[in-house]
Amino acid sequence: MPVFKTPFNGYSVKFSPFYESRLAVATAQNFGILGNGRVHVIDLSPSSPVINELIAFDTADGVYDVAWSESHDSVLVAAIADGSIKIYDTALPPHSNPLRSLKEHAREVHGLDYNPTRRDSFLSASWDDSVKLWTLDRPGSLRTFREHAYCVYSASWNPKHADVFASASGDCTVRIWDVREPGSTMIIPGHEHEILSCDWNKYDDCLIASASVDKSIKIWDVRNYRVPVSVLNGHGYAVRKIKFSPHRRNLIVSCSYDMTVCLWDFMVEDALVGRYDHHTEFAVGVDLSVLVDGLMASTGWDELVYVWQQGMDPRA
Amino acid sequence: MDSNPQQPAAGGSPPKPWEQARSSSGSGPFKPPSPGSTSDVVEASGTARPGEIVSTTDRTTAVNRNAVGRPLPSRPWEQQNYGSTYGGYGSGLNYNSGYGSGMYGSYGGLGSYGGGLYGNGMYRGGYGGLYGNSGMYGGGMYGGGLGGFGGPMGGYGVGMGPYGEQDPNNPYGAPSSPPGFWISFLRVMQGVVNFFGRISILIDQNTQAFHMFMSALLQLFDRTGLLYGELARFVLRLLGIKTKPRKINQAGPDGLPAPHNPHGNQNYIEGPKAAPSGAWDNVWGENGSS
Repeated sequence: MPVFKTPFNGYSVKFSPFYESRLAVATAQNFGILGNGRVHVIDLSPSSPVINELIAFDTADGVYDVAWSESHDSVLVAAIADGSIKIYDTALPPHSNPLRSLKEHAREVHGLDYNPTRRDSFLSASWDDSVKLWTLDRPGSLRTFREHAYCVYSASWNPKHADVFASASGDCTVRIWDVREPGSTMIIPGHEHEILSCDWNKYDDCLIASASVDKSIKIWDVRNYRVPVSVLNGHGYAVRKIKFSPHRRNLIVSCSYDMTVCLWDFMVEDALVGRYDHHTEFAVGVDLSVLVDGLMASTGWDELVYVWQQGMDPRA
Repeated sequence: MDSNPQQPAAGGSPPKPWEQARSSSGSGPFKPPSPGSTSDVVEASGTARPGEIVSTTDRTTAVNRNAVGRPLPSRPWEQQNYGSTYGGYGSGLNYNSGYGSGMYGSYGGLGSYGGGLYGNGMYRGGYGGLYGNSGMYGGGMYGGGLGGFGGPMGGYGVGMGPYGEQDPNNPYGAPSSPPGFWISFLRVMQGVVNFFGRISILIDQNTQAFHMFMSALLQLFDRTGLLYGELARFVLRLLGIKTKPRKINQAGPDGLPAPHNPHGNQNYIEGPKAAPSGAWDNVWGENGSS
């Protein structure tokens, strides 16, 4: 399956919700410590095993995450290491990009999530301990959610409830929020160590998964979050990102600092369905296509983006 | 693909696969969704605080609400005098200042990976802690938590001092044009290391090739010599010339193999030989029994 080489270290990869062959990749120079960043928009050609780059946007600082707009097929949002959020339109010529630059966070923005239900707003999770809610029809952020006591690494919208989202933080908690409430509605002290990622189950709106530095992934039911529904062990180092499958209820994909991408079925005893060790450096970005069942993409610090069909060898 | 049949309507992206599916669980603890756009919903709820800037001093208020009651690690960027501590490039420069800290912080978050050790220097170690702890890259070099690799990190961060100032006020920051001194220095270093790496690989490969060539050559000579001897004997025999059979260790008088020096049965290996009458040529020769 095709491979795309980025000049910088990969940080995140996302499938377009509109075009099944299009992806966006966030990269940062020098492992994101300092230096420039770049957002690549790449396209799988249906016939040849080649990935073409449609357009790339350079930034002065590393890019840690990207999110595709759910309302415009050419718009994407990028999380920049200087605390700003930049909005790009791939249909516009390079000199008119970025469309906007939203600078409110005091620290690096580490995670973005576009509301898949209402499709007009997105969240940004930042290392200034806050999550911000943005809409494109307002010049600034709409709301700031500040309760976490440490860096917030990711935020994720509930796929059914357009007002509910979860945030994962280094203060070892996952918090559930409702944008209409002044404070968080639920606090899940899920792990003994920092939580780096969280995601909602797409078919059961009460299930949420959290991935932590303690190498485990835990599945929680928000109606009873005293004990996890399931604990998935198997990664050798911190789990960096997790994602529930948009097509299968029980399938989770995760990537980790042990340089592997793993597939899990959290309802069965032997939860580990597949392990892909194609990356030669930390695997930090993974995504599953919403439009094609089983199409996966991953990126890592080895500056490579792999796109492959589940069950195949990414390097083949 | 532009020929996608699910061409987006004005409403947005194609329907998600899970939207067709029935929710498999009962009602959750969530309030039913409100109609309208997100901005309307938030503003109607009275919780909207548009454009709120998060300052770092506000953070302390949140700490009191820490639900875990667990001591939190110090922040990655709250590192003091990193450069001087580790004698990196930026000795004496305060790490906490300016932009450099931010960049270091960006790395420190990954330090969260650092073996899950909080509360000590390891956490801030970022890369140092990470590699040191994992032992993946050879303990000697990167080991010791903050040591090793950590040192240069200080250099990285501090290097942003002159470099980082160009952007923050420019919202549409173009890609930075002149790379800072440390960046270019690091780049040069990388080039040098790459260069010597390649040279050494070249030399190594050449040595190996030369060695294999020579040993193959010697082996060939060896075999050729054998072949030549056999051939010569064969040809001579064909020509009817009797070659002298080699008399090796003719049996002695008592049936035991005679020693090479047939003066009696003395078999001194390194003993003094009896001086043969005449020349040296019968020391080893077959006529030595004179």
